[in-house]
Amino acid sequence: MSLLQKIKNTVRSRSIHVCYVNTGSCNGCDIEILACLGPRYDLEQYGIYVHNNPREADVLLVTGPICQQWDDKLKSIWDKMPEPKVAVAIGNCPISGCLYDREGSYVNPPASKYIPIAAEIPGCPPCPREIIGAILSLAPEIFRDYEEKNK
Amino acid sequence: MKKTVDVALPVGPMHPCWKEPVRLKCEMKGEHVLACEVELGYAKKGIERIMRGRPWQEVMFLAERICGICTVIHNYVFIETVEEISEITVPERAEYLRVIVNELDRIQSHLLANFSYCYTIEHETLGMYLLSIRETALDQLELITGARITCAYMIPGGVRFDLSGEDAITLQEGLSAIETETMRYRGMFETGPMIGLRSKGVGILTTEDAKIVGAVGPTGRASNVPFDVRSGHPVYQRLGFEPVVYDTCDNWGRIMARFDEVLQSCALIRTCLLKMKPGSIRGGGAIKGGEAVHSGEAPRGELRYYLKTDEHGRVIDISIRTPSIPNIEASGHYMIPGVSSAADVTSSFISCDPCVSCCER
Repeated sequence: MSLLQKIKNTVRSRSIHVCYVNTGSCNGCDIEILACLGPRYDLEQYGIYVHNNPREADVLLVTGPICQQWDDKLKSIWDKMPEPKVAVAIGNCPISGCLYDREGSYVNPPASKYIPIAAEIPGCPPCPREIIGAILSLAPEIFRDYEEKNK
Repeated sequence: MKKTVDVALPVGPMHPCWKEPVRLKCEMKGEHVLACEVELGYAKKGIERIMRGRPWQEVMFLAERICGICTVIHNYVFIETVEEISEITVPERAEYLRVIVNELDRIQSHLLANFSYCYTIEHETLGMYLLSIRETALDQLELITGARITCAYMIPGGVRFDLSGEDAITLQEGLSAIETETMRYRGMFETGPMIGLRSKGVGILTTEDAKIVGAVGPTGRASNVPFDVRSGHPVYQRLGFEPVVYDTCDNWGRIMARFDEVLQSCALIRTCLLKMKPGSIRGGGAIKGGEAVHSGEAPRGELRYYLKTDEHGRVIDISIRTPSIPNIEASGHYMIPGVSSAADVTSSFISCDPCVSCCER
């Protein structure tokens, strides 16, 4: 492993930028992500920053059951993110549509139809500690030795 | 709405200040906002369509998931509508337990709304303080119901779990913490000079305009419209409820009204704990067919359910009117046009506590 790669690995493990996109969720998962920002769970102590800007994000948190309006927009947000990037589905909605995916509804789950989803956190809504745990366990695995793997 | 316009400024649907997708199309002349149009439709799931033809046992959970921030009140109003149709009476202890859970939900919703506002006017410190105290309210909710957000605590005829004596003591301690901290943050917000510059006199919604557009909840009450559905609710009448009214008509008044309602909710919960006597928490009854309209006071204003069921408890027709609809209209038509800076567009919009998922369902 080159020295540059070692430095990159060290730096990246403490600098994960997160963007969240609400594709029509009920806000339950969004306020649990928001609770992660608060002083009790405090995402920033792990080196995770929430900016909500896809152009500088490494991790995309997807909530909601992908309403009709988001069919094309979710892909375009994913394309705006720079490499290396990873998407995490939060809650039951992007995984299966939860209880909205019934006859007559305007939703079109799962999110993995539109973008590659690396991890899924089930729950309606999942606890903040589960969200933090998922991001912390997933992101270093994805970003470690990224340049050497993708030569 | 094309006029003489320098810049058309779109805000959203993905924006750091928005927690949910909504788009504001502002027409600016320099920094001055001339007109604003709110574009909704990014979170339409068609919940009312899914609800039709399903038994109430399923619709109960669907109703709760209309909005994640005010789940308890959706549950409360839906169950009260079912009870009104079926003529089910609720034991007194269960009535008070419902009020306790509802007020705890209101506390966390108002603190979240005020956090969003502080975050939008770039006062992140106060916002983080508010998020911190909100966790205490969520802890109490978890203690009573077993879940932080979607708790499905109320069922026709009563509630699911009783509140034990030890838990009541923990709840009292939590309330004391919420009260002392909220008093402190309210003082900080009231006297903060920079907060005053960003909030006082910004986003004016006059009393006449509020009546025309039908603004409800803290948005209406901060514009001197003393309308609160809780004043007409039998349990709240027993508790001696009086609505909080401000006459400043601006962003500052709306946030202060929410701070005052948090303190009022703490007082209501304490009165409930005093008045509660041991007894049954769940009555009996059979579901009947019929139709009814019922209202309740959500954290954002009046929430109204129209429900028609058949004799097996299946929902034939349902129509929901959520408080965010008039409040977003008030924001788009009256608060935002006329603000003197583009930065005040987001803060004026957030100050009416818009809940887009409630609004579109």
